[in-house]
Amino acid sequence: MKKQLAFYIDAKRCIGCFTCAMACKNQYHQESGVIWRDVYELKEEIYPHRERAFYSLACNHCENPTCLNVCPVVAYYKREADGVVVHEQEKCIGCGNCIRSCPYGAPRYNPVLKRAEKCSFCWQRLDDDRKPACVLSCPTDALQIVDLAEFDEANAVQYPAGFPRYPSLNPSVRFRLPAMPKMIRRKL
Amino acid sequence: MDKRDADSVKQAIGCPMSRRKFFRCLAAAGALAAMPGGLLRPFDAKAGKIIYEGDYEIYRNACPRNCYDTCSIKSYVKDGVLQFIEGAQASTFTDGGLCVKGYAYTRRPYSPDRIKYPMIQDGRGSGNWRRISWDEAMDMIAKKLVEINDKDDSMLGLGLTKYSGNFGITNYAVEGMMTSLGYTTRLVGTPCWPAGIDAQNYDLGDMWCNDPEDMVNSRYIILWGANPAWNSVHTMKYIYAAQDRGAKVVCIDPVFTQTAAKADVYWQVDTSMDGALALGMAKHILDKGLFDKAWVDANSVGFDEFADYLRNEISVQWAAEKSGIPRQQIVEVAEEFATAKPATIWIGYGLQRHVNGGATVRSIDALAAMTGNVGKTGGGARYGHMRTWGFNYHALLQKRPEGAKGFLGGKGPKGDFDFSGDEEAEYTDRALNINKTAEMLLTADDPPIRVLWISCKNVLSQDFDRPKMLEAFKKPELIVSVEQFFTQTVELSDIVLPVTTLFEEHTINASYWHYWLSVNEQAIKPMYEAKSNTEIAAALSARMNKLKPGSCTFPTKVDTRQWMIKEFNQDIYDLFGIDSWEDLKKGPAKAKMHPASWHDLEFGTPSKKYEFRSDLCAQHGHQALPKFKAARKPYDKLRLLTPHTKFGIHSQFINIDWMEDFNKKPYCYLHPLAARERGIGDGDQVRVFNKVGEVELEVKLTQNVPADVVMMYEAWFRNNAYNCQNVVDDTSSDMGKYKTGAPGVAIHDQFADVEKV
Repeated sequence: MKKQLAFYIDAKRCIGCFTCAMACKNQYHQESGVIWRDVYELKEEIYPHRERAFYSLACNHCENPTCLNVCPVVAYYKREADGVVVHEQEKCIGCGNCIRSCPYGAPRYNPVLKRAEKCSFCWQRLDDDRKPACVLSCPTDALQIVDLAEFDEANAVQYPAGFPRYPSLNPSVRFRLPAMPKMIRRKL
Repeated sequence: MDKRDADSVKQAIGCPMSRRKFFRCLAAAGALAAMPGGLLRPFDAKAGKIIYEGDYEIYRNACPRNCYDTCSIKSYVKDGVLQFIEGAQASTFTDGGLCVKGYAYTRRPYSPDRIKYPMIQDGRGSGNWRRISWDEAMDMIAKKLVEINDKDDSMLGLGLTKYSGNFGITNYAVEGMMTSLGYTTRLVGTPCWPAGIDAQNYDLGDMWCNDPEDMVNSRYIILWGANPAWNSVHTMKYIYAAQDRGAKVVCIDPVFTQTAAKADVYWQVDTSMDGALALGMAKHILDKGLFDKAWVDANSVGFDEFADYLRNEISVQWAAEKSGIPRQQIVEVAEEFATAKPATIWIGYGLQRHVNGGATVRSIDALAAMTGNVGKTGGGARYGHMRTWGFNYHALLQKRPEGAKGFLGGKGPKGDFDFSGDEEAEYTDRALNINKTAEMLLTADDPPIRVLWISCKNVLSQDFDRPKMLEAFKKPELIVSVEQFFTQTVELSDIVLPVTTLFEEHTINASYWHYWLSVNEQAIKPMYEAKSNTEIAAALSARMNKLKPGSCTFPTKVDTRQWMIKEFNQDIYDLFGIDSWEDLKKGPAKAKMHPASWHDLEFGTPSKKYEFRSDLCAQHGHQALPKFKAARKPYDKLRLLTPHTKFGIHSQFINIDWMEDFNKKPYCYLHPLAARERGIGDGDQVRVFNKVGEVELEVKLTQNVPADVVMMYEAWFRNNAYNCQNVVDDTSSDMGKYKTGAPGVAIHDQFADVEKV
């Protein structure tokens, strides 16, 4: 398999602190309301305690990216070397095809520039041998960068409950599920 | 604040702009050569490689907030503009990362909401703000100070309230400025952690915790009322590491916190019954002979009396009934804790914010001590420490003006961060309890507080009994706030002075938790007309001396970088193994201290031993032994909890527009059973009310809170009047006066009811 960088989201370690999401804003200063990485609370059907388990999600840098396939002006390309999907905003005409087509909601509309934008995997940081801002920021190593060509984690899953299943896209993301403590509640 | 007021504030501070528009304006004004961030955005694929170390000026900063983590920051600046920040990788504690609050700092200096100039409000609370010059502002304040000094023959009519808004060491220039003006009135004490500080002083002779990085060595960890997943995110990795090495983690909290969700066992203790639980565990450990007899014999006093108390008055069944934790659970965890060596307890600050808080901390300390876990790596009853704070306090220690008169009698103010030493003098400052600020402002007389100076504090968001505070804020003749944003406190001030952010000043930061030390460099020039607290003191002194020579001893010209350097001394250099403060420009340094507090078993108590029986504690009006102390009697149907949010430190950060992307508005949390009884559905707008006041907000239903609790987070939102201090009274906790000058406050001994609106 060719090198394909991916995000490993360890929900067992994740504390839902939003540090990764803010680290992204700190790096790229997105317009208000334009969010590349967000931290999604798991519904109580998936994890029975509200606001206590999360998936930190951004672009999944799919093997077969819809955004790239639907873009009429070839504003997207997938890097040969590491599989990162790059959006070239200066080419974007703001047609919204990618935004409508990505089932993971990764491309976002920038209402000021009237163009799309999305997580870049911090490719410029990667090229300077630096971790993506979000990965570097994570205080519990719950968000990691892995190469799927070498990734071998027995407990990892690609489509946990709540994460849309699109094998045709093959999203470059892996998860570990959250755990629960033994609960001793007092009786009232 | 009604909407009209809000609008006038907005008008006064200028309409919020988008970041781009804001920077365009700056660029047009010649302030910027290039749009910040432009090169950073990855849109232009042809932009090519960015050289991060080389294309940027890099500065060292540190988060000065009231937080365990006190993160070391590496700041990347280009064209004089802060571009992005990272955690310092030189610190193994921070390890390259900050937190959600820390990463929002990049926005802070450039926030369109920032207070840009000195301003005066025509009519307190009117929202009719107008810009004035620094000279005008200083002139008005100085004239008033001369006037009250003439009237009262002292400066006691000048009151200062300052706490933890900025812990950078040079910010003690605010207290220094007060001293340099004469004997003044100080709101003293701390709302944060005083009951526990006193408790640890009675038991151990000081508050001194193990290195948090040493927690990896623990075989058993009890997180007792601590929620590091929100309040010390960088400590979580050490807890995980201990877990990965086989340690069991037990989290004890009335609320199923994020930390509880990561523990192996969660105990939902009845709020403020932690002491009963600790004593029940101690009793079982005693009965089973699992206490460390050798340690207790060699290193403690009063254990036999404590054992008698446990035998005669405590049973595990009693502890189970009080705490709500089943007997079998208490027995199991007590045995595990006593036999896992080393075992540690992290005592959170929330569990001592009760009328029995100090007693509770003492009983938990006793549990750690009787099992021989004090003085060991991987052990300890961890609460906090001040062992790395041995600065010169040059900014703080100023001379009184010649002939200054003050308060006769009393011993003068103290505080958890009081470094002034024991000064014997004819006069002292007048000390008033900071946790009863509203009451003190209303009742202080002869003279009353005529001028109130507020710095590093958001009184109207953080002090208790807000309805009373609104009354109290009508009383002073002049209220001056030193701030960055139009907080609810600024709304009720007469003059506001814009103060620098961490990136715009020179200072030093130490932690009360980890052992690292950071220098904070000026990374960018102060925006607009912001001045540091040191420069403000100098400006005021210049004007005072012009009006009345000799009336203020504070230097009228300060080089803030020099003032930062003046805080260092050889002891600091030796402790941190550095030759000069300049070494810290390469990154933070860690104190060369043993990772275990009390490792030499030389305790700071009168007996030099661990004191299960503290006569000092008894002399101060408490129980000599760590006995159970009853809880506050409920005054309403549900217990009200108002802990931290993960999106802020007290009232800070929540107002930043970047933060609003993730935390738009406040919520309260209610158990589905409590909601059903009241006909309340998820997402309903509700009124939380009690004898103090009321708040209105949206409710989320969750079993994370017990059925007899309503919970909401401390916060100041810029576009929402929500304020939890409307329903929190100012009842004192049991301890705190010994070491911090005033008892703490029973923040979590509050009660309320909820109804649908």
